[in-house]
Amino acid sequence: MLNYNSPIMETKEYPDIKISEVEPILKINLRGKNRDFVTKVGKELSIIPPVDPNTSSSNEKLNLLWLSPDEWFLYSNNKIELKDSNFLEDSLFNEISKKKLGSVTNVSDHWVKINLSGTKIFDLLSAGCPFNFSNFKNSKGAVTQTLVNHIDVIIHNKNTNELNLFVRRSFSMHLWSWLNDSARFI
Amino acid sequence: MSKNLRIINSKYIDQTSRISFKFDGKTLYGFKGDTLASALLANDIHLVGRSFKYHRPRGIMACGPEEPNAIVQVGSDASMTEPNTRATEIELYEGLEASSQNCWPSVNFDIGAVNNFFSPLIPAAFYYKTFMWPANFWKLYEYFIRKSAGLGKSPTEPDKDIYDHRYLHCDVLVVGGGISGIIAAKTAAKNNFNTLLIDDKNILGGTTLFQKNECFKINNSYSNEWLKKEIENLKSLKNLTIKTRTSLAAYHSYNYLLARENLTDHLDLNEKKDKIRQRLWKIRAKKVIIATGAMERPLIFNNNDRPGIMLSSSIKKYIDYYGVKCGQQISLFTNNDSAYETAISLSNSGVSVNSVIDIRDKSNSLIVKQAEKLGIKIHWKHTVVNTNGYKKINSIEIMKLSDDGTTVVGKKMKEGCDCLGISGGWTPRVHLFTQSGGKLKFRDNDNVFLPDKSELDQISIGSCNGDFELDEVTKNSVNLINKFLKVNNNDYENLEIISSKEIDKKNIWLLPSDKPLGKTKPFLDFQNDSTANDVKLALREGFKSIEHVKRYTTTGMATDQGKLSNMHALGIIAETAGVKMGELGTTTFRPPYTPLTFGAIVGRNVGEFFDITRKTPIHDWHAKHNAEFENVGQWKRAWYYPIGNENMHEAVQRESKAARDSAGILDASTLGKIDIQGSDASEFLNRVYTNAWSKLEIGKCRYGLMLNEDGMVYDDGVTTRISENHYLMTTTTGGAANVLGKLEDYLQTEWPELDVYLTSVTDHYATVSICGPNSKKILSKVIPDLNLSDKEFPHMSFKNALIDNIKCRVMRISFTGEHSYEINIQSSYGKSLWEKCFEAGKEFNITPYGTETMHLLRAEKGFIIAGQDTDGTMTPVDLQMDWIISKKKYDFIGKRSLYRSDTIRDDRKQLVGLLTDDPKEVLEEGAQIVLETKKQPIEMLGHVTSSYFSPNLNKSIALAVVKNGKKLKGQKMFVPMKNKTINVTITDTVFLDKENKRLNA
Repeated sequence: MLNYNSPIMETKEYPDIKISEVEPILKINLRGKNRDFVTKVGKELSIIPPVDPNTSSSNEKLNLLWLSPDEWFLYSNNKIELKDSNFLEDSLFNEISKKKLGSVTNVSDHWVKINLSGTKIFDLLSAGCPFNFSNFKNSKGAVTQTLVNHIDVIIHNKNTNELNLFVRRSFSMHLWSWLNDSARFI
Repeated sequence: MSKNLRIINSKYIDQTSRISFKFDGKTLYGFKGDTLASALLANDIHLVGRSFKYHRPRGIMACGPEEPNAIVQVGSDASMTEPNTRATEIELYEGLEASSQNCWPSVNFDIGAVNNFFSPLIPAAFYYKTFMWPANFWKLYEYFIRKSAGLGKSPTEPDKDIYDHRYLHCDVLVVGGGISGIIAAKTAAKNNFNTLLIDDKNILGGTTLFQKNECFKINNSYSNEWLKKEIENLKSLKNLTIKTRTSLAAYHSYNYLLARENLTDHLDLNEKKDKIRQRLWKIRAKKVIIATGAMERPLIFNNNDRPGIMLSSSIKKYIDYYGVKCGQQISLFTNNDSAYETAISLSNSGVSVNSVIDIRDKSNSLIVKQAEKLGIKIHWKHTVVNTNGYKKINSIEIMKLSDDGTTVVGKKMKEGCDCLGISGGWTPRVHLFTQSGGKLKFRDNDNVFLPDKSELDQISIGSCNGDFELDEVTKNSVNLINKFLKVNNNDYENLEIISSKEIDKKNIWLLPSDKPLGKTKPFLDFQNDSTANDVKLALREGFKSIEHVKRYTTTGMATDQGKLSNMHALGIIAETAGVKMGELGTTTFRPPYTPLTFGAIVGRNVGEFFDITRKTPIHDWHAKHNAEFENVGQWKRAWYYPIGNENMHEAVQRESKAARDSAGILDASTLGKIDIQGSDASEFLNRVYTNAWSKLEIGKCRYGLMLNEDGMVYDDGVTTRISENHYLMTTTTGGAANVLGKLEDYLQTEWPELDVYLTSVTDHYATVSICGPNSKKILSKVIPDLNLSDKEFPHMSFKNALIDNIKCRVMRISFTGEHSYEINIQSSYGKSLWEKCFEAGKEFNITPYGTETMHLLRAEKGFIIAGQDTDGTMTPVDLQMDWIISKKKYDFIGKRSLYRSDTIRDDRKQLVGLLTDDPKEVLEEGAQIVLETKKQPIEMLGHVTSSYFSPNLNKSIALAVVKNGKKLKGQKMFVPMKNKTINVTITDTVFLDKENKRLNA
């Protein structure tokens, strides 16, 4: 059997900060422009793709993040069973991509989800992130695509003092190491 | 035994906490709250260093960042020592060690002082004029010039301290915690602006904090007492963040500012450990209020540089704030009222003031009258014409000024003193304003440059805006702040202020002496030893621009960046050249305002975090198997896998032989991968690549060459048609992000009509490439259900497959010329798949190979690497890849450029193969190729782009670009090297298996 290996597989705790990798998580990139695409996504996921920049819509199982006027990022709230990992992708692909409404691309292993929680997580990010979090941190569901220590990330405000940060897998070990080193000085 | 010049009247120094420190090896004592400068002065030490050029004795002159003389070396540890640190800004801590710079063997007896005797022979630009000839002596000159250049000693080992960076956003940033800054910060915070107040000192208050004088009162309180209450009130403001010991270093466009916070520099040695030393704040402010105050100017007269000659306001701060007497017989020399504040402070502290020498005819201001009431002697309309004392001033010579101020008249008087306070007026600190792009205006009546126009949301208030009187500072600051923040600030509108008003003003940039100018030394730039004479010499020699005079004389080019010298240099130039100062302009103020440590600039981007690294999912396996890694973009790619004591050459020879003889395995996960979907995907590829894509069958792969708009090769890779409207494009490793950006740009701007969507999946897939004659056998063990027959699965095709129930895509494509397969699988299974392939290949001696072997194998086949065999100037035709350019397609990126007169020239550099006459001789990549070696100048016809020793061919092979190379097959040429000339022959680019038998085996 092939073994599943996520890149970090760790949880670290510091005063007022907890950082953990949460995998495997289903992640799908959705792209489309027309109304039929939006309707189909809404029907398949029971979530309407948000149209306001840097916002998200969520239900119990899934989160749909606005990335650009024709691009959304879908991820599951909970870890998935590896054997079921293709189910939603196949269904969306058949309904959207094959019907020429847009594109559906599995990016589950392209991104790594890192959960940050605690009252000092924004102080931690300010060590390497130029984004102004002052409004963001009070807006549940807010999304930003920014840089942390020069690395592209997507950050989703999941709850008060709780963020999900998505980083490309190849950068994830470096960013993980940097986050932990930075947490020492917060 | 040094004297103790401390008086017990300071509230800012904790005289119960004694601190020991060492200066020039001698143990001395100060108190908590002292700076190194104040502690040295308390120990009656003025002489702290030697000047750069003439090695003249120099003493502490100021009390802040403008200090030009007291530049010391801190620490002696090879990793922690720091040169060029201003003693006026070093807070004293237990264990501090500092030493004088630019002197040998000691500051008291310096051999270099001999330069002073030869000073008439080494005027401004001496170096430029002297070391020009003979030209071949430069190497000798350079050795000595480099040896004598610079001040202090750099650390020789890595810095052990920790530094950090932080981003910070605020509504209002107030720079400067003096009286106007405090008014601004309080107003902003009270009106719900998220406000940040920074100040470079350890406590807020600026100079008003120690201004206890009847002439300066606010609401019937001394101004210092009033301000203390205001500072206390700041603590209750929720929207206000205060950062002390934080110096603003740079003010860039769009209100982006950099500030350095000193976190541990003031702590005792044992308290500093494992803490961040300095933090660089990267601030984005919606609005900026600059309240940085003003600097006192010196006066320019003969021998104005002796230890003991200090700025008058600094003497006042040392006595009022630090409780330190700078001397016991102090004279003051001024052209304005400020020196009288010092005289009164000294008098109130019981220090004898010899006299005040004032170049003005008279002044009737409140403060002067108060000084007169105290019995302080004033020499009106007089000037100092000379000073005496080698290592410390011991007397001054005074004469009366003529009515026009150009000469001196009457008898010379001599006055004994051990300290001379000088005051030449005030210069607003407009550095930050100009760094941000602001334009200055000139105010004639007191000769100051002031902030004028700015494109940014900022204002300057207080004395940095030209308000020097207490009542002006408060009234004008409040008005400006209210207007700037659009608020009604009532707190400060009805203040009752008593303020002495300076009515009589007089300024002489270069004060006259009883000696001819050439016989005097009126210093302008104390650190770089440039004098008024040097500036006048530059003007005589034809320099007119202030920027040229600055560089010719080095005025303003030392570590203090001419904070004290620039205005006088401008004044003397304007006066001598007969132009108005306002028209002359200033030199450019560049960041940082005060020197930053390299540590603060670098932050934690050192060691592991020096550069970002990307790793493939199989990285750990490579590391475990002894791989050496190569940086490709940010990726760490396995370069080669040495066994035992193998060097790179030996490892690569073994790896490439194994790949050709049996099987090799390569981690190709770093290749860029772009998922392309949409009903116009085929048309999109037609427009992107030079070849045709419409007829590519589903399940087939095709190599494509992507050009820039100029027709030059940009990137290449294999694209696979997954289904009708679905492709997977691969790009080069280094080009992945740029290619995606470029294609997305085209879709959004040039081809919005196309129904195409791109998604990067580079990191989603791990790619395991198996090549060699036994690759098919290995793959059949890994995926037994997959039909690998040539008919079912020919070269340049792909199959979906399952490995242990995990989906994967297998492409039969080759970059080595061998029969090979690339398996793409979700990255989380990449390492496990690699191990499975490796295990399956063991019976075939499967050999992992790295990028170096990959390069060798592809070079044997004549396959190019975009970026190595191309350099942005090669067209497909230059690469002898004419076959890849579709003649039928209407258009593709770069098509038009392929038919320009320059791109169809026959004599362009073209890709060729090269064989050396000696098969063992391996050419150097980058080596030049020539046809003749005797005729000079030798014409360079091309260069080697790739070169290897091929174990499979048992000879050296190379690819090269040569002018008109296509037509030169068989031509003998030469590669001249340092010690020999190598004979080569131009060949075809394919060295191995021209018939592609191995590929289809």
